[in-house]
Amino acid sequence: MKSVKEKRPAGQKQYYRRKKVCKFCVERIDVINYKDVKLLSQFVPERAKIMPRRISGVCSRHQRLLNDAIKKARNIALLPFATE
Amino acid sequence: MRNYEIMFIVNPNTPEEEIDKINGQIEAVITSGGGTIDKIEKMGKRRLAYEVDKHREGYYVLFVIAANGDIIKECERRLRVMDAIIKYITVRTDEEGRRLEKIRNYRQKRAARRGSNPGAGPSQFSDEAMQ
Repeated sequence: MKSVKEKRPAGQKQYYRRKKVCKFCVERIDVINYKDVKLLSQFVPERAKIMPRRISGVCSRHQRLLNDAIKKARNIALLPFATE
Repeated sequence: MRNYEIMFIVNPNTPEEEIDKINGQIEAVITSGGGTIDKIEKMGKRRLAYEVDKHREGYYVLFVIAANGDIIKECERRLRVMDAIIKYITVRTDEEGRRLEKIRNYRQKRAARRGSNPGAGPSQFSDEAMQ
């Protein structure tokens, strides 16, 4: 919704949503390797689900690569499928 | 020939010599089939993210190889029948490598273009593109 960006009437709390940027594009990380648990675990919150793009701000291309990497890592027990 | 990574988890209770023996067997399968081994990395004991066959820990080993499909097939069959192997995964890496090379070339070209006629574009990005 665009309404967030518009000015609210006085008295209401005003906040600006920070523009999210893709971590991989900004830091120029080309390879998203399935062995890099430290990097991947930033994108799997507590329940071990893959963080959606709308929250992490990752661009679609890198999200796809990230998904592949996380799924490979799960396969070889580097990352959990679900927390027990 | 294609590049692959084979990663497998050995039962953490197996002695070190046994692990070396397994590595030797896999190595023999690859080299006898005409493949080459770039790297064998024993990544050591790690906690598994979830329980596999009642194991909470595992000994990770990584092979980086160049081989063809038949060798991979044989390797996977061997790994499947070995009792000490808990889990394995084979990942093809040559396509990823090619993609990477393309990106690198592209960056280099861009950096070179920027270097040849300064002032054409914003110069603030030039040094990070150099790498």
